[in-house]
Amino acid sequence: MVNPEEAGLQVLRRLKSTDPPTWLAPNPSLAQDARAASLHLFSSLQPFAPKSPFDRLLVDGFDAEQIWQQIDLQSQPLLSGLRRELRRFEKNPAEISDLFGGGEASEGKGKGRGGGVDDLGGEGMEVDGFDEFDEDGDSDGEEDGEGGAEERGVEGGESGESEEGEEERNDGGIEDKFLKIKELEEYLQKDEAREYGLEDGSKKNKEKKTVASDSDEEEEEDEEEEEGDDDDDDDDDDDDDELGEFDVDDEDDGGMGKLGSARYEDFFGGKKEKVAPRKYRSSDGLESSTDDEGEENGADGNKGNHNLSTHEKELLDLKAKIEQMEKSNLEPKTWTMQGEVTAAKRPKNSALEVDLDFEHNVRPAPVITEEVTASLEELIRNRILEGHFDDVEKPPSLPTKAPREIKELDENKSKRGLAEIYEEEYAQRTNLASAPLSFSDELKKEASLLFKKVCLKLDALSHFHFAPKPIIEDMSIQANVPALAMEEIAPLAVSDAAMLAPEEVFAGKGDIKDETELTQADRKRRRAKKKRINKAEATKRMAKKGRETALNRGEGKEE
Amino acid sequence: MLRRNIRLRREYLYRKNLEGKERLLYEKKRKIKQALEDGKPIPTELRNEEAALRQEIDLEDENTAVPRTHIDDEYAHAMERDPKILLTTSRNPSAPLKQFVKELTIVFPNAQRMNRGGQVISEIIETCRAHDFTDVILVHEHRGVPDGLIVSHLPFGPTAYFGLLNVVTRHDIKDKKAIGTMPEAYPHLIVNNFSTKLGQRTANILKHLFPVPKPDTKHIVTFANQSDYVSFRHHLYEKDGGPKSVELKEIGPRFELRLYQVKLGTVDQTEAQIEWVIRPYMNTSKKRKFIGD
Repeated sequence: MVNPEEAGLQVLRRLKSTDPPTWLAPNPSLAQDARAASLHLFSSLQPFAPKSPFDRLLVDGFDAEQIWQQIDLQSQPLLSGLRRELRRFEKNPAEISDLFGGGEASEGKGKGRGGGVDDLGGEGMEVDGFDEFDEDGDSDGEEDGEGGAEERGVEGGESGESEEGEEERNDGGIEDKFLKIKELEEYLQKDEAREYGLEDGSKKNKEKKTVASDSDEEEEEDEEEEEGDDDDDDDDDDDDDELGEFDVDDEDDGGMGKLGSARYEDFFGGKKEKVAPRKYRSSDGLESSTDDEGEENGADGNKGNHNLSTHEKELLDLKAKIEQMEKSNLEPKTWTMQGEVTAAKRPKNSALEVDLDFEHNVRPAPVITEEVTASLEELIRNRILEGHFDDVEKPPSLPTKAPREIKELDENKSKRGLAEIYEEEYAQRTNLASAPLSFSDELKKEASLLFKKVCLKLDALSHFHFAPKPIIEDMSIQANVPALAMEEIAPLAVSDAAMLAPEEVFAGKGDIKDETELTQADRKRRRAKKKRINKAEATKRMAKKGRETALNRGEGKEE
Repeated sequence: MLRRNIRLRREYLYRKNLEGKERLLYEKKRKIKQALEDGKPIPTELRNEEAALRQEIDLEDENTAVPRTHIDDEYAHAMERDPKILLTTSRNPSAPLKQFVKELTIVFPNAQRMNRGGQVISEIIETCRAHDFTDVILVHEHRGVPDGLIVSHLPFGPTAYFGLLNVVTRHDIKDKKAIGTMPEAYPHLIVNNFSTKLGQRTANILKHLFPVPKPDTKHIVTFANQSDYVSFRHHLYEKDGGPKSVELKEIGPRFELRLYQVKLGTVDQTEAQIEWVIRPYMNTSKKRKFIGD
């Protein structure tokens, strides 16, 4: 079936020849071509694919993701098979020359390895090509990329055909493009030299080899990395491989594989910069003359090549540190450590770099958060519901003069004379009981009548038991007492006769002493006197009693 | 006008002078009242004046019973008429400050705004006295953000100096429809947590910027104190339905006030006695709360 093949090839050629800018805009014809190309390639690879569920690629009506998945399904086992084959070929290059009659097309940009096979592509086409494509972000999706990648497969050189250096590979077939035993050895050598001082590496190499072979198995199955590029740089730049290995190690997480076409150098700059300061810092570096790598020697240069025990090395380190600290103690302190520092004493703008701490004596301003607002609103709501506002009050109007009592003046001539009025008043004051009720006013009469009625009813309630009015003694001094009553209160003269004579006030003789003033002898005297009196009285009483009883007995006897 | 001012000032000083003696008298009367209530004998030192004082006690009403200090005396007659406020700014105000002052003019009822121009403070105060203003409010700023408020009560009343923080003006809120217009009704006041003497004084100063409102108005202005920072909020409320629910709608600017000085004179009297001033450098000032709580 030539025609379909021809058609497929034609399509591929067309794709290859289109201008790169046309890929940027979605183009249905290109998409169509790409699908056809993928179909062709798929079917051409089909006989070699070990087990794929699809006989042909299903492109009609499928979107990019689905087509890619199909391709992936086919290519994965294919790739591992290819790898195996390659390894086999590497072991015996003779086979290849047999297969292809000695003609290899090394189309890779880099130092191509033997056998860059056109159809199969190098291994380099795989990940890197796809990654590059992903970066482009073409809207047509992966099918284009896939086709393109397979096309460009061999060219994927810039992103790293995995390479060997010019060195021969005489190790067993443990190594793959990821692990280079030689480089591992060199790195280990160097590190040991740095740590322990320079030694001949020959003895160590063998150890490293075994170490390497142990670690080989883990690294075999790893995803490929772009470490090919790193290797390039390493070998090219004649720098120490240490960093290269560092990078490799650092980047050796599984996740980096497909993700990162972004590389370490993009972020952290080239390794050259990093190496230079380290070179400066190395003291009395004794360069190893092996290979083309530079050597760092962090060990103390003074002892040079002597073998030092670990303990001695530690002591040396300690000593160095102590020296350094003593030296810094002798120097003047930094400005942050010197008590009070004015602006003149410190470098310019240095206070900006230091973290200064001040003790603030004011409470910080409140940050108005949701909760604060909510609490305020809560307070306001409560006040509204209570109706409790703190408004300004109108001042109470000052009381004007008290309203005068308006007395009604009775214009009629009084029926009772003035003397009679006075008489009544006197009688009232002196003898309340006989005070006549004299109401002049009609209204008052009526009121009193009503009141009497009420009183009657109230008394009825209490069953007419008379409850006397409680007597409240009025202690106030009444000034309105008639003059007559005032007159006879105080005697105008006091005669001497009424006065008592002093002896009548107090009769006593001798020196009158208070209880407290008595001496002991006085007390004894008083006590004795008291006893005498008591005794006299007692005898009198006894005598009296005796007479009485005698009389009684006598009477009793008589009877 | 000038003579009236002189007379008023002299009266004020006289009353201030009398204050000491009046206080003594008040104390004596208080002791007598206390003794009479308790039924205890009158203290011996007052025996001579007892009769006269007794008479005075009988004749006292609630106005005269309280000792008058010259300090709060300024607001004694303020309640008899509505406050009249003049608002102005510092010199060369920026546009946001001018907007803020415009808003404040509507917040305080019966307030007027005046351009500052190049006037001196003493001139402003003179004109205010001539036109019978009761208060002058000056607003200061820092790069467009209002940061100072000076409230001065006019007939030689007290001056309170506030710092403004966290100012949110109505102009900041872009959605004009949501915020609506400001009502011009006399608002109800809520003054919360001004418990110390100084707090009472500040509350008085702020309260007397507002006139007596109608009891049923829906307009509320809140001054809430929390650890010496007074929050100003301006709301309209609606009582929907019985279940004690109140809808609050915030209008107007919101800011925090921080009192830093109270002077017993107007703004232009620079030698006036300082009633209270903030002392942030004291070691214990962090623990003390001067306005309330």
